[in-house]
Amino acid sequence: MKRKAIILLFTFLFSIPVIAQLDRTKMPEPGPAPEIELGEYESFQLDNGLKVFVVENNKLPRVAFNLVLDLDPIVEGENAGYVTTAGQLLRTGTTGRTKDEIDEAVDFIGASLNTSPDGVYGASLTKHIDKLLDLMSDIVKNANFTQAELDKIKKQTISGLASQKDDPNAIAGRVKNALLYGLDHPYGEQMTEETVESITLDMCKDYYNNYFSPSVAYLAIVGDINVDDAEDLVKKYFSDWTVKEVPAKEYKTPRAPLIRKVAVVDRPNAVQSVIHIAYPVKLMKGSEDVIKANVMNTILGGSFSSRLNQNLRETHAYTYGARSSINSDELIGSFDASCEARNSVTDSVVTQFLEEMQKLRNEKVSQEELDMVINYMSGGFARSLESPQTIANFAINTELYNLPKDYYKNYLKNLSAVTVEDVEAMAKKYLQPNKAYVLVVGNAGDVADNLKQFSPAGKVDYYDIYGGEYDPNVKELPAGLTVDDVINKYIEVIGGRENIEKVVDRTTKMKGQVQTFEINVTISQKVPNMYYFNLDAGVMKQEQKFDGERAVVTGMGGSELEGEQLEAMKIESIMHSYLDYSKYGITPELVSMEAIDGKDAYKVVLNLPTGKTKTEYYDAETGYKVREVSVAESPQGTFTSTVDYSDYKEVEGVMYPHKISQQMGPQNIEMEVISVEVNTGLSDELFKVK
Amino acid sequence: MKRLFYSILLLFVFVSLSQAQLREIQFEEFDLDNGLHVILHQDSSTPIVAVTVTYHVGSKNEDPERTGFAHFFEHLMFEGSENIPRGEFDDITQRAGGINNASTSFDRTFYFMVFPSNQIELGLWMESERMLHLKVDSIGVETQRKVVKEERKQRIDNQPYGSIMEETFSHAYKVHPYRWTPIGSVQYIDQATLDEFIDFYKTYYVPNNATLSIAGDIDIDETKDLVEKYFSDIPRGSKEIQAPNEVEPPQTEEVRDIVYDNIQLPLVLHAYHIPAQGTDDYYALQMLTTLLSDGQSSRMYKELVDKQQKALAAASIPFALEDPGLFIAYAIANMGVTPEDLEAAMQVELDKAKDNLIDENEFQKLRNQIESDFISQNSTVQGIAASLANYHVYFGDADLINTEIERYMKVTREDIKRVANDYLKKENRVVLYYLPKSEEK
Repeated sequence: MKRKAIILLFTFLFSIPVIAQLDRTKMPEPGPAPEIELGEYESFQLDNGLKVFVVENNKLPRVAFNLVLDLDPIVEGENAGYVTTAGQLLRTGTTGRTKDEIDEAVDFIGASLNTSPDGVYGASLTKHIDKLLDLMSDIVKNANFTQAELDKIKKQTISGLASQKDDPNAIAGRVKNALLYGLDHPYGEQMTEETVESITLDMCKDYYNNYFSPSVAYLAIVGDINVDDAEDLVKKYFSDWTVKEVPAKEYKTPRAPLIRKVAVVDRPNAVQSVIHIAYPVKLMKGSEDVIKANVMNTILGGSFSSRLNQNLRETHAYTYGARSSINSDELIGSFDASCEARNSVTDSVVTQFLEEMQKLRNEKVSQEELDMVINYMSGGFARSLESPQTIANFAINTELYNLPKDYYKNYLKNLSAVTVEDVEAMAKKYLQPNKAYVLVVGNAGDVADNLKQFSPAGKVDYYDIYGGEYDPNVKELPAGLTVDDVINKYIEVIGGRENIEKVVDRTTKMKGQVQTFEINVTISQKVPNMYYFNLDAGVMKQEQKFDGERAVVTGMGGSELEGEQLEAMKIESIMHSYLDYSKYGITPELVSMEAIDGKDAYKVVLNLPTGKTKTEYYDAETGYKVREVSVAESPQGTFTSTVDYSDYKEVEGVMYPHKISQQMGPQNIEMEVISVEVNTGLSDELFKVK
Repeated sequence: MKRLFYSILLLFVFVSLSQAQLREIQFEEFDLDNGLHVILHQDSSTPIVAVTVTYHVGSKNEDPERTGFAHFFEHLMFEGSENIPRGEFDDITQRAGGINNASTSFDRTFYFMVFPSNQIELGLWMESERMLHLKVDSIGVETQRKVVKEERKQRIDNQPYGSIMEETFSHAYKVHPYRWTPIGSVQYIDQATLDEFIDFYKTYYVPNNATLSIAGDIDIDETKDLVEKYFSDIPRGSKEIQAPNEVEPPQTEEVRDIVYDNIQLPLVLHAYHIPAQGTDDYYALQMLTTLLSDGQSSRMYKELVDKQQKALAAASIPFALEDPGLFIAYAIANMGVTPEDLEAAMQVELDKAKDNLIDENEFQKLRNQIESDFISQNSTVQGIAASLANYHVYFGDADLINTEIERYMKVTREDIKRVANDYLKKENRVVLYYLPKSEEK
């Protein structure tokens, strides 16, 4: 066969000459499709309500017992973790057996026995099942929780939480749940050291006493056992299990974000980012959409050949593997696309994820691609039947989720009936690239800036490993530092009290640029609190005066200020108020340390006598004031004004900032100070309101 | 492994014992003229078939200057062949309703596909294609180079305790190629040339170094014909296949080191040199491991985790390999427990096994546990195909899938005490402490 030269150039061909009759260029045709038969199960029910399913399978001389409770999830609140703890406590003792005795008995017959908040699983060789059921039923019926075992579990759990702090996937899993479902939802609430510490024995006992009831229980028995023997055994061990009134629960339904949000968990030493695009979806178990939506998802990211993996791994080599999933659930389902990728391509990965989602929404898939996925999923169904546990799971799911009795019998038929149009409809309904959380657990210093582009609000929200949001700029204050220390240092570095007090009047001239206009500003001040402001932008002029009593604004329909605005002016106009804030009724408060342009600064909030506040930032190292933030109210609404000061220079013994930039709403004004003149003998006339 | 989300639970394979309960795995095996060994097992309970090929090449066959080669090759083996264009291998598998994947160990590389049973011929065609004339273009190589780097980060560099295998084996071996692990070093893959890849392929990926193991809903006679049809024309390899001949000299004094990692809880690890898998002592060491860490009544778990609350987790693993391997015991400290304290508690348990003969009751428990594990294996056709191939490749006896349990049952209480004393010696071990980076001076 002749290959094109261009391929030859870059091709490593491990070719060995072959002379044979076989035509290897032809892919073999499949034989007749085998019939896929669902195994049968038998079922019966005890008088106490326990429903039992038996799947006989004699391949191995072994039987597995899976007891499942149909319980509504519980909101655990500030004691998050007690339900899980109760599940663990189950295996630590009964009224007749200690934990040591249970452990010894389980291991002696080579069995496995696990407990959880909503069930117990045990398996052993057929010859030991009588002993196994004796243990299992003892645990279910006669659990005995002790403080000593609770303390052990709490200690283990807290160590386990610590060990997760460096596991990026564990962190991503937790924070994803917090984002999708909220910290007050059973799926989103977080176990922390604190919540675990608060768990009491009574909470765990109450859980067991309220919820472990045969009336909500299903027992699946799978393996080398027939239904008659199973029934005898179950009756022997479980018919005296007492019924309890199990409470039902209701929850608020989590919603997807209205706009896309970018969430980052910082792991400063990360060499790879764990990336998730996720959101909650309303997709109930067994609903009409489930199979179709799964087909749609498998095309997108449900297998090695899926679009996401082909794009991110085989085309771009960003990752070892990318996948997506869509989960149906009785409360609230979810969509999640994820991969792990090196820091430098983190934003590129997000771009590709979102584009692939959009593409599947916008463009119909080919019949060929659909057929491939349907075949793949049919094969998966067939393979799953190799485990006899699958049939038992089908039986339990049918009960738990009230599925039609023939749901699994019809699964393959319904799967093969999915059309190109169905896939399109599912993509439009369930793929929401614009209403998703973009969650990245990684090195924020490397990746966060480039992630802002995915947020319509242009921002990245930071979360701790327990899903709590925080401001990454806020840091802890040095111990013992007071607000007076900060202000006194400021006074000292700008020239000292004595030099400052010498200044009785001052005129500052500035120029700057707003859009295309050049503006000139003159500000004059005189002790104690006279103030004059002049802005000249050529086409537009504005003047402002305050004489200590009255204030007026001219230009742009100016008028005399009254009420709140006048009161604010009175405070604003005091020269050197920082030399003695208390004298003017101003209470400063040291709040935190934050990074301003990468440098630590102390945040001081001034509580003004007007009831308003103003925030100032002082550079932790130099002591200079670097920022002022105030909120101005206007008929158009509330504006935050942020003024940054830099380039401090000395004028007659006092340092003044020579670069001032003001950000107000979308407007940014950069001003340069041309001159500062002090003690020129300004006349009161300049400030006088007539 | 070529890809994510594949369970490695099937690593330790046992078989079934107790005469009353023994359900023998029936199989047929034969060699083709080109040296390909073929094993067939028929089981019609589910209409699926596992087609697997084990190449007897692992990281121990690598040039020390080209570590990671066998694993990298595992990735290249999905790139395509003379008749399967790049990117098609997986699509063809999927279109036929199948799955595929592979894994690489120190000693061998294992490829598997599981199809609906009517697609067995397709599976054989695909495996024969890449055995006969694998084809890889430069785009494929460049892509997989990057993918493997991400795999390494994901499994090792970005995971707490992720480097534990590398650290353990590099400290334990000075001469033998077990001193590096299958993932290897990234730079060697970057440095490798086309000729080296071709040479590696032509040396190891040949029928006389491969075992084709098929299990599932098959007709044995038809399958034999199909195997003949697709594999008989593949020429035997002409290059000499050399197992590494380096012999690790006995360790004469304890090796002790600290690894600082992005972790919160210290980890203490002991690694003791032990004989190769399949030796009598290996089975005794397996029983010793069961004693120490199988189940919640096992000694390390009961003492370190449950009673003393010093460990979050504690376990021992006999990392048996084709050449002499390692017996690893490790524990992760609970909050506030020092590694020294944890190690001392661990040492007490190891010493108990050395000083005291276990009683009859505990010995019976071990035998029951081994029996249960052994019988519970082999529940999938893929697992059975893999076990049959392993037993053939490592021991030359695929029937061990039915009989290996006898070797366990020959182990006595005295044997367990003896191997504990023979191998769990201070001078024969590596001790590693994993400590939080914050404690690094």
